[in-house]
Amino acid sequence: MLNLQLVSYLIDNQIALLSYPVCGRLTDIHCLYSLYSTKYSECHSPPLTFPEFIKDIKDLARTCPGCVNYTSTQEISSELGGNFSLEFIDVGMLKILYNLFRPGGYSVEEGQRAKQELGETPRTRLLQLLDEDDYVISNKGYLLSLENLLNICPASRELSRECAKVTTALSNYIPVCGNKSHATILASGSQIVGNNLISIQWQKLRCSEDQRQVIENCVNSRIHYIPNIKPQTDLNLGDCSYLDTCHKLNSCRYAHYVEYIPDITVQEALKNTDKLNRNKHENLKTCFYTHGYSCTVGSKSQIPPQWIKCDVRKFDFSVLGKFSVVIADPAWNIHMNLPYGTCNDSELFQLPLDTLQEEGIIFLWVTGRAVEVGKDSLQKWGYTVSNEIAWIKTNQLGRTIVTGRTGHWLNHSKEHLLVGIKGNPSWLNKQIDVDLIVSPTRETSRKPDELYGMIERIVGPHSRKLEIFGRDHNTRPGWFTIGNQLDGHSIHEPDVKKRYEKFVGGECKTAKFMHSTKPGSSTFGKICSWKNC
Amino acid sequence: MPESSECKKSLPLRPSRTAPVNDYSNYHVHSGSLPQKQVKNADNQLDGYPKLQKLFKLKEHQISEHATAPYGCRISIDEMIPTLNSWIHRNHIVFDVVMIGCLTDNQFIYPLLTQLPIDRLISKPGFLFIWGSARKISELTKLLQNQNWAKKFRKSEELVFIPVDRNSPFYPGLDHDDESLFERMQWHCWMCITGTVRRSTDGHLIHCNIDTDLAIETKDTQKTAVPVHLYKVAENFSTATRRLHIIPARTGKEIPVKVRPGWVIMSPDILLNNFDCDRYKEEINRIGLNLTTGPDIEALRPKSPIQKKNQC
Repeated sequence: MLNLQLVSYLIDNQIALLSYPVCGRLTDIHCLYSLYSTKYSECHSPPLTFPEFIKDIKDLARTCPGCVNYTSTQEISSELGGNFSLEFIDVGMLKILYNLFRPGGYSVEEGQRAKQELGETPRTRLLQLLDEDDYVISNKGYLLSLENLLNICPASRELSRECAKVTTALSNYIPVCGNKSHATILASGSQIVGNNLISIQWQKLRCSEDQRQVIENCVNSRIHYIPNIKPQTDLNLGDCSYLDTCHKLNSCRYAHYVEYIPDITVQEALKNTDKLNRNKHENLKTCFYTHGYSCTVGSKSQIPPQWIKCDVRKFDFSVLGKFSVVIADPAWNIHMNLPYGTCNDSELFQLPLDTLQEEGIIFLWVTGRAVEVGKDSLQKWGYTVSNEIAWIKTNQLGRTIVTGRTGHWLNHSKEHLLVGIKGNPSWLNKQIDVDLIVSPTRETSRKPDELYGMIERIVGPHSRKLEIFGRDHNTRPGWFTIGNQLDGHSIHEPDVKKRYEKFVGGECKTAKFMHSTKPGSSTFGKICSWKNC
Repeated sequence: MPESSECKKSLPLRPSRTAPVNDYSNYHVHSGSLPQKQVKNADNQLDGYPKLQKLFKLKEHQISEHATAPYGCRISIDEMIPTLNSWIHRNHIVFDVVMIGCLTDNQFIYPLLTQLPIDRLISKPGFLFIWGSARKISELTKLLQNQNWAKKFRKSEELVFIPVDRNSPFYPGLDHDDESLFERMQWHCWMCITGTVRRSTDGHLIHCNIDTDLAIETKDTQKTAVPVHLYKVAENFSTATRRLHIIPARTGKEIPVKVRPGWVIMSPDILLNNFDCDRYKEEINRIGLNLTTGPDIEALRPKSPIQKKNQC
């Protein structure tokens, strides 16, 4: 007869018997079992001897193959018993065995899965597996917490975003209407003289009263672009690639548009923005988070625009001092055989831009092949490229530019701006803006002004900012601009003024000594034409 | 007196002469609305250009008429280079258009480009498109310093793909780091040319200036690792029919890689595994190496200045 007491003992103590220090050694298990049976045994029979114990185990193994596994394959015997140990005890099987004699003694999981599987096809089982979270729940939990950890936004970033929101002056914002039917209906009542919209004659609009009401409401809050239909206009041709910048407005057969926004809406928007902005500067004075800003950020005024007209290639950069930010928009010589007006790679490479910053950020406009030259140059000057901003160029209608053969292989709808970072400037307010600028094109090579706002949000209003290769429209408060197309100079910082006067004096002396050419002669002309592409 | 009331109404709605210019970066800071949301033709880039729309339709039709069956080659990343090598050396297969990468992080692009005899995989002239995160593509700059590589391939354009918002499947989430000064919103692509093509005389090989170097995710893009736009740019540019796309990244079951007619797609996660060298060669023999362009397309496609009539 089977030793049921032994079976239940093995079931209850399975873990303890197999793990350290017993390690499944049969001699030790025998001792432990003898101790147990004398103490807790139901029938007070004398404890088993070792050979008896081995016999019981053997019976067990024979009745129910696989319920216990030994480490050795040799036939077990009481003489050798000391060297034998159990490797594995199948609790499930022992429980079933026990229940055969004493039903209900142990609760047995009746292989739920096996039961379910019976009536199902492999496909439904597979789908079930894929859906079931039990199988991957442990990993999923780890993944989720890891993902959450990675997605944590540092408090500094949240704070700089909030600070930018509170202190950046709002610019006017009037959205553009996206409903094409509005423009068509407005065209039926628009009075256009000399490509200028004079008025909208509301009573002439070809539409129902309801529609007119909808359009009138829309007109009050959105910009509309009304087709400027002329005798030669052929609407089937579609829109002109150049729209408002078309040179042949009076003969071009493609569609052109006039902008329409009521004066009163503009005035109201201006008033509203003014009202909202009145507090913005005050906010700086009580702002709790001024990371990276000057400690007198609330009371300090910005330095008026400063500039120096000079040939950047020959200018002594030590005159200017150090800056937090530098913008450079060189006229790259992209086509190798353009005669003049551009700056070749080696000239740009040789500019001592490595002396302008101890630590800080630089913005370099690049196009085409210059992307790689620019990256190399930045590296040479001690920067690492941290971002590339894309300027998405839009036209009068706020659409990207897709026609007009603007590139060699593909059309170009964007320009690249490399962002370099030097040293370890901990005072920057990062990731307030995204690496995109959506802004209309203006005069040739004129870059979007949005960049100035983005930069100010990173370095604060009072850090020193330099623009190289700037033109008149680039000069602005807080910025120092140098370039050969500026008008004279205007310097407000006394130390820079002093150094500049010294530099000019020195240059005059060498000029006299060298008997070099005077301004207005050929070299001067060449310098002037440097950046006019 | 409805007339007079209308007149009174029309007076305040006098057009403004000096409308302010919107600063969408500033608007983003205050409202959280991303600048790319303001692009008016984001849903349909060809909005306003009926001739271009017609050209795109004609091209699409012609490309689908001359496309091979969709092929998938499902292999692990480690096996890619040996497999491609055997295609080159044993099966003597070349492709005219090879695209590498997709819009996921963790791609093994640089090792693939340096370990693969890619100049033997691509015919001359041939076109190579490499897609990846902006930083991954920026790392390729060192390839150009490698004389061996730079001699064979010229980087001709840099393409950009932009997700529509932060919830987009193409939002470059993992590409963020503390160094970044701006929140990243771009995927980049290098378009490289090997061999010689001239845009004025090689109209049978390439159609230039049809697509632009910028694409914004459109509403109808499904959750996949490769937006259809990536394929379309390559198809519209080169008239070649032998096209290969290698995706050296695991994209997983949540971001499937789909097959596309006219392309052999090699990826560890491609849905179909049906590529057979002989069958493919046979099919290419039947279709021909290049699409024949019809007169409609020739008339509509942008061409070099000499032949082109002044539009306006």
